Parts: sequence; C-alpha cells; structure tokens
Amino acid sequence: MPNIDRRDFIKLVGAGGVGVGAGVVLRESIKHPREHLIPHVLAPEDYSSGVATWYNSVCSMCSAGCGISVRTREGRAKKIEGNPSHAVNQGRLCALGQAGLQVLYNPDRLTGPLLQSADRGADGFTQITWEDGLTRVASQLDVLRAAGRGNRIALLTRGVGGHLAELLESFAEGVGTNRLFHYDYAHPHALYAANERFFGEQQLPYYDLSNTRHLLSFGADYLAGWLSPVHHSLGFANSRHGGDNRGYFVQIEPRMSPSGAAADEWVPAKPGTEGILALGLAHHIVASGHYDGDDIDEWKGVLSAYTLEKVAEETDVSESVLQRLAESFANASPSLAIGGDGAANNSNGVDTLVAINALNYLAGNVGTAGGVVFNPNPAGATSHDHQANYRTLAQLAASARNGDIDVLILNDANPVFTMPLASEFKAALARIPFIVSLSSFIDETSALANVVLPSHTYLESWGDAFPEHGMGFSIGAVSQPVIAPLYDTKATGDIVLDLARRTGNPMPWDSLEDCIKDGWNKIYQRNASDTQTDSFESFWRALLKAGVWGEKNHRSNDSFRPNASAIANIGVDVPVFSGDAEVYPFVLQPFLSTMHDGRAANLPWMQELPDVMTSVVYGSWVEMNPKTAENLGLAEGDLVDVESTEGSVRAPILVYPAIRPDVIAMPIGQGHSNYGRYASNRGTNPLEILSPLVDESSGNLASNATRVKVVATGKHIEIVKTSGKSRDLGRDIVQTTGGSDHTAQTNSIPIMVIPT
Amino acid sequence: MSFLDRITEGWRKNRKPGYHENFDYHWAMTIDLDQCSGCGACVTACQAENNLPIVGEDAFVKGREVKWLRLEHYWEGEYPDVKLNVIPMMCQHCDSAPCETVCPVSATYHNQDGLNTQIYNRCIGTRSCAVYCPYEVRYFNYNDHAWDSPLDQQLNPDVSVREKGVMEKCTFCIQRIRQAKDNAKDDGRRRVRDGEVQPACVQTCPSNAMVFGDRNDPKSQVSRSLRDPRAYKVLDELNTNSSVVYLKKVEAEG
Repeated sequence: MPNIDRRDFIKLVGAGGVGVGAGVVLRESIKHPREHLIPHVLAPEDYSSGVATWYNSVCSMCSAGCGISVRTREGRAKKIEGNPSHAVNQGRLCALGQAGLQVLYNPDRLTGPLLQSADRGADGFTQITWEDGLTRVASQLDVLRAAGRGNRIALLTRGVGGHLAELLESFAEGVGTNRLFHYDYAHPHALYAANERFFGEQQLPYYDLSNTRHLLSFGADYLAGWLSPVHHSLGFANSRHGGDNRGYFVQIEPRMSPSGAAADEWVPAKPGTEGILALGLAHHIVASGHYDGDDIDEWKGVLSAYTLEKVAEETDVSESVLQRLAESFANASPSLAIGGDGAANNSNGVDTLVAINALNYLAGNVGTAGGVVFNPNPAGATSHDHQANYRTLAQLAASARNGDIDVLILNDANPVFTMPLASEFKAALARIPFIVSLSSFIDETSALANVVLPSHTYLESWGDAFPEHGMGFSIGAVSQPVIAPLYDTKATGDIVLDLARRTGNPMPWDSLEDCIKDGWNKIYQRNASDTQTDSFESFWRALLKAGVWGEKNHRSNDSFRPNASAIANIGVDVPVFSGDAEVYPFVLQPFLSTMHDGRAANLPWMQELPDVMTSVVYGSWVEMNPKTAENLGLAEGDLVDVESTEGSVRAPILVYPAIRPDVIAMPIGQGHSNYGRYASNRGTNPLEILSPLVDESSGNLASNATRVKVVATGKHIEIVKTSGKSRDLGRDIVQTTGGSDHTAQTNSIPIMVIPT
Repeated sequence: MSFLDRITEGWRKNRKPGYHENFDYHWAMTIDLDQCSGCGACVTACQAENNLPIVGEDAFVKGREVKWLRLEHYWEGEYPDVKLNVIPMMCQHCDSAPCETVCPVSATYHNQDGLNTQIYNRCIGTRSCAVYCPYEVRYFNYNDHAWDSPLDQQLNPDVSVREKGVMEKCTFCIQRIRQAKDNAKDDGRRRVRDGEVQPACVQTCPSNAMVFGDRNDPKSQVSRSLRDPRAYKVLDELNTNSSVVYLKKVEAEG
C-alpha cells in the first residue's frame, strides 16, 4: 500500500471532487436542451398524428367569397385549397387565396393588445392586457353613448358580409351612431350605380361567362381582379373548350391586362371612351336591324349621335374594327358585354357601365344563359349596403377635421394607404382624439391608433359569406376556425360583443359563433323543407362539413325591359381628366397587381410571385409604350418622377409593348411605410398622386383620370424580374394554331354539389 | 450469363423507349395554353406544397430564385398588334432526360412511374444537370434558407426541406402520388383512380388548363388530352421525350 498520509488523502479527495464537479458542469453544458414529447392523453377527436385533417371554410383575401378546404396536420394549417363543393370556385383558388397561410403565420402579426404610449404615429406601442385595452375603449364609448353623442363614434371596417356585418350594424345602432362604413378600394361602386339606373336594382347580376360564346370586356380584368376572378377563370375555360364552339373574347382597354393577354383580340381604345365605344356598337346593332323591339324608336333617338364615324374619332378605334365588333357581338348567341376596372373608374364611369348594360339588352343578352342573369336576393348581408365610396370617406375626413368625431374604430381597413394624398385623410385622422384598431397588423392606418386590439385572422375565426356577384341562385358559406388561435387575439365579432357588454348595451349573443349559428338557424327555418335534415343541429353539422350551402331559388329572368327614362338617360360624355394635357401629357392607369390593393404586400409569397404580365418581383415600375420611351430617351430601369398636380412618385421605367403611347400604368400595392418587414419601404404607391376627381353619379373616385408627366432623374436601377428574354427568338416555345383546330375537351371541372 | 451481363441486360431493358408500358403508371401532364390565363396560382400553390424557400430580393437579382414552376412571358409583334404568350414551365420529366445521364453520382434518375426524380442526399452539387437541362427548370440552393418564425409552421411535413448545395426541381408532387397509391392499397384497389392524384398546380388551376394522370391508361383524361391535335412538346427537336405536353394556343378570327 502506497504511503499516503492524512494531508495527501484530503488533497486527493478534494481534487477528485473538483474534477467530478467540473465534469458534471461540462456534461450538463453540452447536453441538448431538454425536449419533451407531451402526448395528447385526450387528443381532440379530429387530431391524429401523421394524418391530415381538412376543414372547409371561406377565403377572405378578397371579396369574392371562394370556398376553401384547409389541410391541417398536428394542429397546424399546412395548405389551402379550393372547396370542390363550392359553386363559386369549384375547388380552384388564385395565388392570393393560396397565400392566405402567410397571413396566419406572418412574422409581423400582432401577438396581443397594444397601447400607444408615445405620440400617435410614432413607434411607441407597448403590450397591455385585453382587460386594460377593452376597458380603455369601452370607457371612451360609454361616455359618448351615455351623453347621447354616439354619433361622434365612427366605425370603419374592410368590407365584411354575412352575419358579422349584421353584428357590426347592430353594435353601431347600440352605441348610437350611423357612421358605419365598409371600405374596400376595389369595390365596384360604379357597377352598382349603373345597375340601379338601368335594371332598377342595386345588386350585381351574375355574368355567365361559362356559357357565353362571345365576350366583350370593357376594361374589366375579369381573370385577375374583377369581382370573382376564380369563377370567371372557370367560365373563361369552359367557354373556350367546354363545348363545341370556342368562345371568342375581346378586351377593350388602353393597357393590356392579364385578361387582355388571354383574349383573342385586344382593342386599345382611348382611356375613358369605352362607354362611347359601347354606344357606337349599340348604334350599329340598332341601325343594321339586329334589334327589333317595339321601343326601337326610342333607342334610335338616344343613339343617333353615336355613329360609327364619330365614335371612331372619339375612341381611336377604326370604323372597320367597330363594325366587325358590333356584327360579331350581335351575331354570336349568346354574347355578353361586361365593364369595370379601368372603364368604370372615370368621370363618366356610371354612364359607361349603363351603356354596356344597354348593349347587352340590345343584343338580347339580358336574362339569358350566357348573358346577364339576375340574382335573387342574397340569403344574408353583403358588404355593399354600407360600402363607403370616395365621397363618403371624404365627408368622414371633413367631419373629423371639424372635430365631429371623437372615436374611430378601425377593422382591418387601410384608407391611409389607398386614399390619395389629396384627400388629406391622414391629417384628418390626426384630429380624432381616440382611434382603436382591430387589425392583425400595424398598417399605415393602424399605426395612428391609440389602442390596437388585434383580431384573429380569418383562419382562426368564425364567419360566413354570401358572394355578392351570386351564381344566379343564392349561395352562402360558413367560415370556421381551422386551427386554435396562435396568439393572444380575439375574433372581431367577439371584441365588438365584449365592447357592447361593457357599454351597458349587450347584444343577444355570447360569442361570434353564437351569432353566426343563430343567423344560420334563421336561414334553416326559412328553408327547412328543402334541407333534408331533421333538426338545425344536423343541418349545421352538414353545413360545416360541406362548407357551403345553396338555395334553390332561381329567378325568372325573361321579363326585363328598361323603362323609358332609363333609355332616355343613356349617353356618355367625353371623359374629364385632371391636369392640363399640355403640361401633363400622359393618363395614369393605376392597376390592381398581385398585391391586390396593397393588402397582400406583407406576404412573402406574393412579393416573390412574378407579376403576371411583366414578371417583376419586389418592386414598383412605370409601364410605358416602347415608342414613347424611345422618344423620351428612356430605357428599362431609368428612374423617373411621375408628377401629377397633386404630387410625384418615383419608380423605374419598364418598357411595356401593349400600352397606348399616351398612357402610362403603375401597379398598386407597394409603397408601404408600415405593414411589416416584407412590405415596408419597398416601391411606391401610385394612389398617392391621384387627383380627387369623382364620378358624380356614384361618388366613386375617378382613379384612372389623372394626367401626369414623366421627368427623368438621370438615375438608373435594375428592375428585378424573372423573365430574361422577352421574345421567343424563333424557338417556337409557345405554339399556336388556326381557329379551325378547335377541339371540344371534356374538362376536369369537378362536379358541382350544392348540399341542400 | 454472367452476373454483369444480367445487370446490363436489365438496365438496357428499361432504357428502351416505351419501357414504361411495362410498369403500372406513367405520369404525364397536359397544359392547355388556350385556357391558361397566366394568373400564377400554380406558382404559389407549388411554393406552398413543396416548401420552396422565400429567397429574398437579392437572390432574384442574382438569378438564384427557386421556383419549381414558373411562368415564361413571350411578347409577339409591336403595338397595337401585340400579343403576350404565357407558358407555365416546370420539369418536363423527360423520358430521355439529358440531366440524368450527366449526373456523376446518379442523384437524378428515372423511376418506374416515369418521373425524373432527384435524390437530395446523394446530390453533391456539381450543377451539371442544370447545365444540360434545355428547359432550365433545375434550381440550385446557393444558400441555406430560413423561414422567419412562425412561417416555418406552414412547412409541409410530407416534403423534405432542402439545404445548401443541393439541386432541386419539380417532382410532380411525388408525395401526393405516394399518398394516393397508399390510399388505393388501403382500399384494396390495385390502381390509383384517374383524377385521384393531382399535383398542387393542377389542383388549383383556376382556368382548368392543366390535366394530370396516367398515360398508360388509355381512358384517362390525360391520355385523351394527349391525343388532342393541338398537342405539342416544347423543344421536341431535342428528342427529350417529355412527359409534359402543351396544347397549342388557338388564334381565332373574330
């Protein structure tokens, strides 16, 4: 045995202890962080590891109201697809609808209520509790309501339909205000006004593209943005190759849109003269004996001024083309004329759309399959009843400036971004003492709020929708939460119900779900005999499963006749543009891009989706005719200032082969100053420099009626786009064939099932 | 016959044109250019389904974006008689694929279903296949990609996330094909029904321009579509024998 004395022994033991200690510390430090697998002892019924669960719901990315099926795995939404049973989109979905997941999982989403502790508009938001937030808002509302000054409260929401719209309405009534506004930049105000004037009802008819053989589209970009693009795309496809005769599509617009590219013929008429062109066609149809109604003399009277010769001069479309368009439109059966977007957003927008309605009437397209089909009243509320046009919002701004508004409640509306600077909307909001926003993001408008109470996204919330453009029959769909809320947020309806309770004005529902269910119970009671279910509960379960429901209430359509005054009022004035043509030689056409009205700019998938026509990503550009660019000595990427009487924006030139030389176009959607990491400080917003010119008949902003000039800055940037060579160079990549080669295809359009 | 000969013979047997008829499926797609509106829904659907990265603006500037399916734009003529032709372009799943023969490590090969497939963990990133591909539909990961939390929660668990140094491309949504085959097996069916499997792009196409299916089944919708007189293959002169067939755009007179 070695000779170890007591002292050495203690030293050794001590050293050993230190070594063990260091080892333990080292071992702990290099260990992976502890991960737990927590099994669901009582898993939810619809949760099964490794197996996808699908929920049917409704897309809220635009106002079309497509049905969606959301694929979830382990409690997380993974993919959005169209609901095959939904008549509007029949299983299909556009890029924007696909990108809805990035609203849900957006890294810039608000995770809980916020209070602005610095000056409004500064980045001084601090986290607060729901209790705190709701109390602050409720106390503001309560003071005004109790004093009978409820009308000093204004509600501004994005367009919502269904029972949430009714809930908001009864909330507004409860607090005693009539200032409830829905606001969507792209809402077709002019179309409603035109239909009221000509058809006598403020409702959208169903445009039956699917069965038409000949479509004349006046500016309506029906495949990309107008009303219900997915449904129109299905109709377009069916008209082209669903039957024996291939449908023929004509697009009349100064700047080629995606629908123009898909059309058989693109007619670049002068901007704002689309209505005159329509009346020219109408004149030819009546004069050449294609119309033989007993009111023909009245028609001859109002159309007498629109001879082809005169119309050709006004529209810059040759007489021979006009004649051919008129003949083929009148001879095709059924044919259909539609108008919107660029043609509607002019000083003569409503007159233009009335002229297009008249054209449909004269060609016998009203009330027929493949033409204009009237919808029955929708089974539930649509947003249109409270949609605010430019004039209404300008009045709201004026009231705010006068100090007539004390509280503004915002729900996901972003007018600061979509209203022209000339409206001074932002400055008006600064005069409102208290602003509360229910948005999920800090956009330009929410940035001005005192309190932000973030709402659920549509994938976490209850809701329902009754598509306004209809299907020729009533259709409705329920939106259900597909995943548990990711954050400390509440549904818009639940926030409103809570505020109503706190202001001593409770509504008859405990929750939004209750309200929706109650509303559907009423629909069930009305239609119980049709539903083949024995109780509301089984109807409700069937409804949630199918995600959609349709009423068997087609309207008889054949009896429409316009009244004499509607005919007598037909006529389209020469469009008015703001700005002197000598100083401002170009008409600016701002168009809806893949970012829609700017709401999709915070979605990286949409930022990285190459533009449909130009393949540009991540930026803004100015489209200019090649000849014009050559004359001005401009080339792609040259930075220019686009100046109107109201201001200027800077963007690079993109030489665009399909635009009139006297027109330039810019995409809407970029140019955010807030709205998260993907959207902010990128590109420019052409809406800023629009002049506040309004179509008097509808109060709609004439957003395509601003004249601009283009000033070179001498700077150059590279436009980021994915298409390299824009020409085929003889490689014959896209091949074409003559019209005789048409073959009828049996399409894979899923069979439409309407659960009853 | 020696062992080597047997292997060689087996290999040759499955390199002859038309060998796919020996197998159960031969997946193919048709795209009707007369119905395609160029809306881009397929592009985003593909990105969502296949965990394609969000690459950022700088990557686009360098031409390093990753889009298994893209839209190509070709202008024709001058104003006012100008046309835009749009064509969706993805891996054509050529039966005589130039990319397959060039890979030094056989990371890309042809499977029994007629799919041109890519084995990510075999790929060493020589990028030869991208050079040989006449359609330029192979995409290289120049960087590791990150999804800002919680965007990563959207990732499809059925599809692997690729890392830096790996080539990737359209798979015809092979995970969906596999799922459909499994479902068929579970149901006791020998074959997948026509229309039962749809890649994400076909599923979402709003204008119904795309048809996907088994061309070994003469009654399938894609086989009918392949017999359309308008059918053509892009760059057919290269004899790539592609499985994606386009239907010509019709130029009608008004």
